[in-house]
Amino acid sequence: MSDSKVPSLWRGMDRKAMAVAEFTLRQQQKRLSTWVVMLVGVAAMAVLTMFYIDAMTREYEAVDNDFDSFDWDLDGYPNGQERVYGTDVFDADSHPGLLDPPIAPDEPERWVNEDDFDWDALKEGSVGVDDDGDCNREDRTASQKDANRNGVPCDILLSVRPWDTDEYLIQSDGSVDEDPDDEAYALEAIHRSFVLAIGKLGVVFLIGIFVPLFMATGLIRNEMTSGTMHFMLAKPIARSEVFLYRMMGFLALAWAYVTVLLLLLAIVTGIFGPSEGLFRVSDLGVWMAVWWAALLALMVYGMLFCLLGVMWKHGIVLALPFAAWELGMVLITLGAPDTAILRFSVIGWAMNIVDAGALMVWSDTPLLIEMGLWGGGNAALEGAEALEVFASSPGLGLSGLATIVVSTLVMLVQAAACWLVGSALFKSKEID
Amino acid sequence: MMPDFTQQGREPATTPASIPGAPVVYFHGVSKSYGRIHAVSNITLGLSGGVTGVLGMNGAGKSTLFKLLMGKLRPSSGEVKLFGVDPWKNPAPYARVGFVPEHEKMHDWMTALEFVSTFARLHGMTRKEAETEARRVLDFVGLSDVVNKEIGRFSKGMRQRTKIAHALVNDPELIILDEPLQGCDPLARTTIMNVIRELGKRGRTVLVSSHILGEIERITEQIVILHQGKLVALGNLHAIRDRLDQIPHTIRLVGDDARALAKDLLNHPAVFGLRFPSEHELLIQTYHFGELHAQLPALIVDNGHRVDIIDNPDDDLESLLTYLAGGSA
Repeated sequence: MSDSKVPSLWRGMDRKAMAVAEFTLRQQQKRLSTWVVMLVGVAAMAVLTMFYIDAMTREYEAVDNDFDSFDWDLDGYPNGQERVYGTDVFDADSHPGLLDPPIAPDEPERWVNEDDFDWDALKEGSVGVDDDGDCNREDRTASQKDANRNGVPCDILLSVRPWDTDEYLIQSDGSVDEDPDDEAYALEAIHRSFVLAIGKLGVVFLIGIFVPLFMATGLIRNEMTSGTMHFMLAKPIARSEVFLYRMMGFLALAWAYVTVLLLLLAIVTGIFGPSEGLFRVSDLGVWMAVWWAALLALMVYGMLFCLLGVMWKHGIVLALPFAAWELGMVLITLGAPDTAILRFSVIGWAMNIVDAGALMVWSDTPLLIEMGLWGGGNAALEGAEALEVFASSPGLGLSGLATIVVSTLVMLVQAAACWLVGSALFKSKEID
Repeated sequence: MMPDFTQQGREPATTPASIPGAPVVYFHGVSKSYGRIHAVSNITLGLSGGVTGVLGMNGAGKSTLFKLLMGKLRPSSGEVKLFGVDPWKNPAPYARVGFVPEHEKMHDWMTALEFVSTFARLHGMTRKEAETEARRVLDFVGLSDVVNKEIGRFSKGMRQRTKIAHALVNDPELIILDEPLQGCDPLARTTIMNVIRELGKRGRTVLVSSHILGEIERITEQIVILHQGKLVALGNLHAIRDRLDQIPHTIRLVGDDARALAKDLLNHPAVFGLRFPSEHELLIQTYHFGELHAQLPALIVDNGHRVDIIDNPDDDLESLLTYLAGGSA
């Protein structure tokens, strides 16, 4: 086809694009299946959000790791308070009330989570303050006070593990920051876990793959089967244009849908999430990354499934094994985001975008995970394991922004390749 | 609405998407086969101007011929040209073509106006131009009262007319209608036939297919007859008629009293045989099918009979086509 012969084909292309896209959008809106798919998506996200709201409004048991809220000698003074004043925790006749001037007893609750994490985020080296003074007690030896041997008594030595820059090594002098605020930690960790889990698995993967599976696979094929494609193909429009403009109509709806869905999720988690003010504004950057990844995923999957529909009338049969492959890839991104095989998936790139965005906004997540797993030297804190599962570092070994740019480009190339192959297939199809 | 950047409004009707002087429709040795089945075989045909009826039984290859012309199918061998351009490779000539497919399925959720104007925009019209043109063609096919009604609520005849309007919206030089009269009520048939004749008068090239000789006869004299994928006759209907009259035709009437009707028909010169398969059914055998078919309605009305169905059984056309095929092969 030579363009000089057919100037009318490319002039007025914008008008044709608008006409086909608008037609496709309206056609999708008239279909019951469209609404069913979208409602199921909203319902699934709503159910998951219920669990989240429950987790955010629940009370978390405050664990007293060092027993200093206890009052072993029953003199009315918690052990922790007695230790600070040097009285005997086992002797009812020795307590701060007998000192001069006498000290009033503390509420035991004050001594439950009294030694919380007080580290500067991401600052390596000597961190931690022994708030309750139980490390620096006089009855402890110098080597006990400096168990990590960094020359500073009663601190925590924080270092990056030499073999894995994402993981922190925590070496404590003992009884430093040993009684963290369980609830504050759980709320923060569970909140981040939920945002990442629903963003990555719920929206980018499940919505990103199922909406195109049901709505884009038949985008061209349904009309080829029913015979209505004859009307469109009797007009001076190239088939590659039909493919592209139909996709634009589909994306207008799918993108709007996922945008609204993410706005709702961002609002709900912003309100229920732990924050100083009324709304957790800081998360919006993470939601932006999820949104961007979801738009790209919808586009690539849409193009691909539309292609499979053109290729074979049972294109959905071809799409399902691919979806299963992508599911496998998602699981790999959670555990080993730098695995090379992820380059041969769509979702691996999309997850890179979310992980990079999340790490740019919540740069302290890897430390938060280690702190929680360490838990003050006792059992892991609630929420730490969930956060460890859902937070991953982006797998390209690049900076956050570079990861997003590279992954976006790759996904655009994937979409363009699907369009080209799909158009070529469509052109070679006879329409009966 | 997209702004009209070029400020030119509609594309000029004469786009250079063709070879000057080439016939509008050109088939040279075209065959299309599916495995061992030959849908059309070795068709050579060139057409420019006028209304041409394409006559053939179901499965004779009429739709295949049209789909080859519209680039929906790729010929197994031979050459298809539309305005001198290969339609399989280049959709540009469709700017000058209107196509009414045989498929009954339409976008039922659209109104007639939406349907016609949406596809008009694929000719590069703006939204406004498309709506103006859509109203014009819907008026032309007699649907101006129902432009805002959903196609899903249309009768068969209205749907066919909407399809024709959609095909005419770009004021095409070539109009292809695949069985436009099938399933239509008498009013729609008359309207559609008038539309086709009018297009012919305006100098358009029209291709219209049917499996009923009587229908084609009322539209045009220039016909192409297809049988089992082969082109068996081509030219003026009257010239072909002389050959048609050499074989008998059957006309089937169903009415109140077949025997009373038979009495009045017995003396008609064109009738050479009558049969009564049942009390209400009459089969007339004639060598002058066209003549008798044209006179029958008057004969029935003048003699005060009530007839529900006038029909020529399909096997009648088949015998004719077999005869023609045998004669020319």
